[in-house]
Amino acid sequence: MIIEIGHFSVVVAWVLTLLGIGSSIAALRSRNADWVRVGRIAVTLTFVLLFVGMATLVYAFLMRDFSVLYVANNSNSKLPFFYTVAAVWGGHEGSLLLWAFILSSFSTLAVWLHWRTQPTIMPYLIAVESAVMLGFLSLIVFLSSPFARLVPTPLDGKDLNPLLQDPAMVMHPPMLYMGYVGFSIPFSFAMAALFSGRLGEEWIKVTQRWTIFAWLCLTTGILLGGYWAYYELGWGGYWGWDPVENASFMPWLVGTAYLHSVLVQEKRKMFKVWNLLLIIVTFSLSLIGTFLVRSGVLTSVHTFATDPERGLYILIFITTIIGTAFGALIIQSKKLKSQIEMDSFISRESVFLFNNLFFLVAAATVFLGTLYPLMVETLQGGKVTVGPPYYNAVFMPIALGLLFLMGIGPYIPWRKASASNLKKNFLVPLIAGLVTVVLLLVSGIHSLYALAGGFVVGFSGSAIFLDFGKISKLYANREHVNLFKGFLKAFSANQRRYSSLVTHIGVLILVIGIIASTIYQTEKVVSMKVGDTFSIADYEMKLLNIHEVEGKNWTAQEGVFEVTQDNEVITKLRPQKRVYTASQSPTTESAIHAINMGHIFLTMPDVSADGVAVARGVINPLILWVWGGGGIMGLGVLLNIFRPRRREE
Amino acid sequence: MSRGLQFSLVIGLLALFALFYQGLWGDPRSIPTVLIGTTAPTFTGPDVESGQTISLDQYKGKVVLLNFWASWCYECKVEHKDILRLHQQFKDHPNFVMLGINYQDELPDAKKYLKTYGSTFQHVRDIKGSLAIDYGVYGVPETFVIDQQGVIRHKWVGPIVGQVYTNLTENVITPLLNNTPPST
Repeated sequence: MIIEIGHFSVVVAWVLTLLGIGSSIAALRSRNADWVRVGRIAVTLTFVLLFVGMATLVYAFLMRDFSVLYVANNSNSKLPFFYTVAAVWGGHEGSLLLWAFILSSFSTLAVWLHWRTQPTIMPYLIAVESAVMLGFLSLIVFLSSPFARLVPTPLDGKDLNPLLQDPAMVMHPPMLYMGYVGFSIPFSFAMAALFSGRLGEEWIKVTQRWTIFAWLCLTTGILLGGYWAYYELGWGGYWGWDPVENASFMPWLVGTAYLHSVLVQEKRKMFKVWNLLLIIVTFSLSLIGTFLVRSGVLTSVHTFATDPERGLYILIFITTIIGTAFGALIIQSKKLKSQIEMDSFISRESVFLFNNLFFLVAAATVFLGTLYPLMVETLQGGKVTVGPPYYNAVFMPIALGLLFLMGIGPYIPWRKASASNLKKNFLVPLIAGLVTVVLLLVSGIHSLYALAGGFVVGFSGSAIFLDFGKISKLYANREHVNLFKGFLKAFSANQRRYSSLVTHIGVLILVIGIIASTIYQTEKVVSMKVGDTFSIADYEMKLLNIHEVEGKNWTAQEGVFEVTQDNEVITKLRPQKRVYTASQSPTTESAIHAINMGHIFLTMPDVSADGVAVARGVINPLILWVWGGGGIMGLGVLLNIFRPRRREE
Repeated sequence: MSRGLQFSLVIGLLALFALFYQGLWGDPRSIPTVLIGTTAPTFTGPDVESGQTISLDQYKGKVVLLNFWASWCYECKVEHKDILRLHQQFKDHPNFVMLGINYQDELPDAKKYLKTYGSTFQHVRDIKGSLAIDYGVYGVPETFVIDQQGVIRHKWVGPIVGQVYTNLTENVITPLLNNTPPST
């Protein structure tokens, strides 16, 4: 009975989105504010109803109601509580409902938050958000309902895909969707600007916090996905350029370009068409990403059921949204000529322009690589796979270029930089970069990428620290306090700028982690019996025994390995080969020991009947910097979002 | 925005959506092999259950279905029922033969597997995995269809279930047995 309430709520929500669109159009035609109010009610009620829908589905999962098809397919009576809740978005139908729910909570928040300050934008905002919502709700109501019953009711469910039974995976989809959906708010404001012809800087200023919030969610989502791949998939890497990973990375790249490029419009009133284009592309890529993941057009580790009918529906829907957006941009672009020309090639504007170009080229690279197999298949009928070598070769130089720009952008003046200014700001960083290279060479590192990476990290990192040092000193002298207090004062006085720089520091740390763990990873696969030892890097791993262990919904063979270095025992690692009871699917559980900011990573993918175990050891130096850098990036963004509002804003 | 830019934007988007549309109807997991249209590599090997030698040559002039499997392979268990059903469907046709190829497996495991899940046709052991190399197999299950002339006509990577089963039986095996060219 409860689940029918959920179904009914979602159907009513679908009707309400129609009302939302209708009332906004009526508001625009009649210029009667009452219609906008109707729209606001529709948006708010949609949120309430979808909340009810989500709640009933969660309830069905917790009550182990296997008469609901979706519950039976994605959970099991032995599934632990934590994963039972997460199982709500463990499959196609439920994750669409989550998408719609997040979208409705964001649009409701946006409508109430900007109601007073943005009355003219409101009808457009409601219309665009409702149109996107209509697309997702139609899909749920007509093609992918998570509320369908299953007759006869099975005794037990099929269980959640074991690979998804991981803490990082619980948070990965919601974060990713919050990122995708978060970009819908600046997108809607941009659409409003286009349709209403109010093409000034207003929409950008209003949506600034939304944009960085969406960016934070998307970044967190991507990092959690990598973290999950690292711990759960057991191949010792966190990023495999899989089409579905790329699908989330492309909106991130263009979204990051947008994030930077709006600063130019805010400060210099340039890049107007460009920014509209960027936000449209960002949100379009979010939609395309959803399409790619949900339609099964591409081969990927995320193999979901392929269903051309659903795929076709999503395609028609995203074509409508994206087509309308680009159509409006093309029609309105005549009005959008920037009056201001760039003054000099050596200026912050131009660094931002390059930043944008680099990000777009990076996104195009990923886009091409992701879709290339599909293009080849369509045009020639052959099959190809584009793998990490392509991406690493093309992407690395672009990424290094971006990191270099990161050291220049914040310190080069707007309009035109003088020679003395360049010398003042960049001489020390340049020396720091070169010193880093020399230090790396001396310590025996000769990889070109590592050296180039070292240079840009040294350059950009020292530029940031120089800036922090100077400004702290300035405030300390002015306020007669010590340097640390000066730093705090400077930081809170310019929180937007310095929180961004904190994010930049996070990026640098992340990059060091990526370079070290990619280039200097060592791996060894051996087959061994109990009592055997193998060595990897300067560690010895001895297999002490293999025994059976049991969890709530799985059984496993666990290998106990003693790790020693220079005859000194460091730790014992216990990798498992698990079999989940309900689905009989095997998974490989890695065992990890953190040491010197890196990881000793051990898996035991196979144990044969005669007791021969296959063990795979990986040494990942500085891998913790990847996650640590990600954390610092997030901290920077949070400081940015929660900065005190100032008058000029 | 200039005319040319607008134009190329529109064309680009149209091309992209056309590509996506086209992509919907393909299966990214179907992998054509370069071997299709070439003579099937011949082989001999011991039967899993009886140990007697089986050779592909002895089935010349018949339509042969080769199904690569292993006891450690989860997806093989998924397709096993349908594989038996497929054999049931065609086994009475004089020109149809079905052979399982046991890939990189321990003999006791393979035997136990067949005992547990049932078997109605013969299985050849690919002891060294060399047969799999000849056929370009890189994962199990994989299924090949060889025609009366000994030419590989079809290959499928992944379990033979649902739509794949229908396609294989209706569009590949049946036309071959009726001596009409298969439609895939």
